[in-house]
Amino acid sequence: MIATSVAVLGATIGTIGLAIFATFCGLLYKGFDRKIAAHMQSRVGPPVTQPFYDVSKLMIKDTVQPERALTWLYNAAPVISLASIITVLLYLPFGGLTFTPVLSGYGDLILLVYLLIIPALVMVAGGFASSSPFATVGAQRKMVTMMSYEFPLAVVAIAIAWKLNALYPGESVFSLAFIYSHPLWGNVGPLGIVGLLLLFFSLLVVTPGQLATVPFDVCEASPELAEGVVTEYSGRNFALFYLADAVKTVAVGTLTIALFFPYDLSPLIGISGPAGYIIDFLFFLLKLFLVVILTITLPRAAMARLRISQVPTTYWGIVTGVAVLGLILIVIG
Amino acid sequence: MLGLPYWNPLIWILGFAVLIALVYFFRSRGQKKYKKGTAQTEVFLSGEEPPEEEERHIKAHNIYWGFFETLKGYYERNMREHTGIVNDYIIWFVGLIALTAVILFVVGLF
Repeated sequence: MIATSVAVLGATIGTIGLAIFATFCGLLYKGFDRKIAAHMQSRVGPPVTQPFYDVSKLMIKDTVQPERALTWLYNAAPVISLASIITVLLYLPFGGLTFTPVLSGYGDLILLVYLLIIPALVMVAGGFASSSPFATVGAQRKMVTMMSYEFPLAVVAIAIAWKLNALYPGESVFSLAFIYSHPLWGNVGPLGIVGLLLLFFSLLVVTPGQLATVPFDVCEASPELAEGVVTEYSGRNFALFYLADAVKTVAVGTLTIALFFPYDLSPLIGISGPAGYIIDFLFFLLKLFLVVILTITLPRAAMARLRISQVPTTYWGIVTGVAVLGLILIVIG
Repeated sequence: MLGLPYWNPLIWILGFAVLIALVYFFRSRGQKKYKKGTAQTEVFLSGEEPPEEEERHIKAHNIYWGFFETLKGYYERNMREHTGIVNDYIIWFVGLIALTAVILFVVGLF
């Protein structure tokens, strides 16, 4: 009984600690993203800490509730969005392999694919509930985008699980702990390496869709829809969506690292103990930084927004095609 | 067979409840007031007069417009086959049964 109480208390403290730290990291990465994108476009850009100022400013601004909005759903959507995206991180090795996830062993890769849908779904619900024509069009686009990127994401998840099952029959291959403790790069031939690279590429292209960033930001599309889904959101409600977006960046980046680059630095340089933990943690933050730059900053600085009718074509046609080719290659190799 | 997926819904709900409480607490620290019944609460439509409430929402058949537009060729072809005439559906049914039987027969040979 005491052991259970201690475990529950530990998990609760871990959950709160992770929520605060992941939010901090998410905001910091948002700051880096804005700064680097600005430099790429020969601008000075805001300071790296600007997202923190944004949130603190939003918290003191009026939280307007539009006329005829479905109030309870309109207010609940940002709360659920932020809480649900943090639950994704409870299952992931945030900080490196030496950091056991808070809910390790209580969910697998399939669960994560579904959990990643919740924040987007509640955002759609919030958009429809706000009674704004811009928001309803944005919500419709968000739904189409979501349904588009789920297909290649599922192919990537299945491909990795299939290969692990072929290598380690009878094991629980959807288990995240099993996936990140058995990287595939060393267990496949040259064709398999190409296949893994294609799967990695597919996941990189799925990420901007999940985060509604360029070129897949059709649901927000500032010039035509005035931020779409969140047009009518303001003050603390908008702050929560802003934070959910920051945490989602961290969650999706951590999932990418867990699936494709689950390596720590300390074993390679022969350092253990607290110094090893610190090195692994810094190495993880570096990997996350690179994923954020590759998936968010570079496309934002270099590409234009797609039309809504091009989003399903891109994801179902090109990205799924690449993912299926990757699947075939790792099956062969 | 692939290893079976698993998850513990109760544990997820507990974690989710803790986070809802945390997020709600954070939200309660923010500004609650706004000016009811002023221009502030009118929906934003770039200065245009917003349409009546019942006309603001996207109708169900338009929700997936992006898909219909992208897969127009596919849908048009399929809709042509959906004639609403029972005889056509029976022909499809019999044809597919025959095709399935042929496939099963060929597979059975090997």
